[in-house]
Amino acid sequence: MLTNIISISLGAILVNNFIFSQFLGCCPFLGCSSKVETATGMGIAVVFVMGLASAICWVIDTYILVPLGLDFLKTLAFILVIASLVQFVEMFLKKSIPSLYSALGIYLPLITTNCAVLGVVLLNVQNHYNFIESVVYGITGGLGFMLAIVLFASVRERVQFSEYPECFEGFPICLVSAGLLALAFMGFSGMKIF
Amino acid sequence: MKKILKLTLILFLVSAIVAGVLGVVNEMTKDRIEEQKQIKTAKAYAAVLPSEGYEELEIDTSAYTNIESISKATGGEGYVVQTTFSGAQGNITMVVGVSPDYKCTGISIISHAETSGLGANAASTSDIGVNWRAQFVGQDKNMAITKAGGTIDALTGATITSRSVAEAAANAISVVESLG
Amino acid sequence: MNIKKQFKEGLITNNPVLVQLIGMCATMAITTTLFNGVGMGLSVLIILTCCNVVVSAIRKIIPNEIRLAIFVVIIAGFVTIVDLLLQAYIPALSEALGVFIPLIVVNCIIIGRAEAFCQKNTIGASFFDGIFQGLGYTVVLIIMCVFRELVGSGKFGTGLIDVANGFKITMDGTGGGIELFSADYGATIMLLPFGGFITLGLLIALMQYMLKKSAKKKEAAAKAVKEGEE
Repeated sequence: MLTNIISISLGAILVNNFIFSQFLGCCPFLGCSSKVETATGMGIAVVFVMGLASAICWVIDTYILVPLGLDFLKTLAFILVIASLVQFVEMFLKKSIPSLYSALGIYLPLITTNCAVLGVVLLNVQNHYNFIESVVYGITGGLGFMLAIVLFASVRERVQFSEYPECFEGFPICLVSAGLLALAFMGFSGMKIF
Repeated sequence: MKKILKLTLILFLVSAIVAGVLGVVNEMTKDRIEEQKQIKTAKAYAAVLPSEGYEELEIDTSAYTNIESISKATGGEGYVVQTTFSGAQGNITMVVGVSPDYKCTGISIISHAETSGLGANAASTSDIGVNWRAQFVGQDKNMAITKAGGTIDALTGATITSRSVAEAAANAISVVESLG
Repeated sequence: MNIKKQFKEGLITNNPVLVQLIGMCATMAITTTLFNGVGMGLSVLIILTCCNVVVSAIRKIIPNEIRLAIFVVIIAGFVTIVDLLLQAYIPALSEALGVFIPLIVVNCIIIGRAEAFCQKNTIGASFFDGIFQGLGYTVVLIIMCVFRELVGSGKFGTGLIDVANGFKITMDGTGGGIELFSADYGATIMLLPFGGFITLGLLIALMQYMLKKSAKKKEAAAKAVKEGEE
């Protein structure tokens, strides 16, 4: 069990990183990474929501959808869960932990359309993970996303001061830098744990 | 408050309509999806060990790692093992044919999530895939890729996929052998 | 709104991927074979057109506060329908695209068009918007697929074109494709995530270059006209 969890975690953070190997969550990855600070905020919010969403969606899938034979409704059910979860977390933080809310607040609504969140809950079902494995995969997948976005934001802060052809202004140069980071992450692909 | 109730009701109504439509579509496609899956599995079985029929053994597969089912070919040609294991990117489901003298008669990958152009070649119908899988025919439970001291050449750029497939096939054969 | 202008917007001046910069995940993830690209592009086109029409049809009766939630439910519905149909009739495609089919739900193109266009326009205009934006998306996917596939494995049309059985188009994903040079000489890296990022980066850079060039040309022409008047 423990080895299983370690291998899921390392896989989700490094080997099969959500951004660099599975391309899940690229929109916020490119959109919210101009500063390290905002990237960190986004990263923490994603870890939080991905962990929670994995837990709730696992329960819904195992105890409601599968027993009733409503498998085909899972995409619909999961996206509704994620959307309401994000709303709920936002309201909860606003009332009880205002300091955290002011730090994460603006990123929360963006998470609904983050395909890493819907992706992780769908992958949990596809890989037949149990409850603990699902939650671990959700949290560590989020951590992988955070690692990627923070690294990428630091690269972008440097790239700002470099010279590149005019037509690469904006997104193209970001994509090229992201490609180089993906190349670096390929180094982990030789790793097989247990 | 009244407004919130009204909004919730509308959202609920929309969701109910969508769910209803999906139910109808699901009902219409259900049989066909099931049929497609069976065709695929049947094709894989026939590819690894041609036989007139297959009979699933009634054993507790949870006692063995990664084994999903073991079927006996009705003509006495051997066994077909269905196994699911983790590859480089995600789970791979594969069937392995085992002859009565515990040699591999072929492998066929039913589903996988390996990298396109690298690990995915293991399952591809192109020459690369066909030639690669042909190496497994005649191997026994000690099979391994060349890097691990065996004779199976790994796919270019997909050592992990190749290793997992070889290990899973070896595992399938040793399980059948242990059943006797 | 005329159709010609919408056509140009969808394919070039307001292309969803190259100009609006949305829907990137799938664009980079699945563009490794032409089969995937065409399949994904057409799926998005169909879903987008259906959603556009429905959203535009009900735009006057849904309450503003929960419009996004309703859009998401409608989109999820159409995505699931397409997902089920693919599983039943084109299983090879459903397998190749995997989790990226249900993920069309969170593809910003669809919700973006619902919010930005269909809310304010008639059913007819929304229908054509769906088709042209979907086409714009498909064209980008195809360009990326052709480039990555060619450089990466020396082939064209893997899964889609069956050369061995006399040049026909197949939808069961078994076609070997046209081999232009041996896969041994291919730069496999183009098929990996790195290739996805780089190819899209270069494509957007090219687009920006061309848009800038045409803008400059127009400016110069306008200037010339102005000078002529003076």
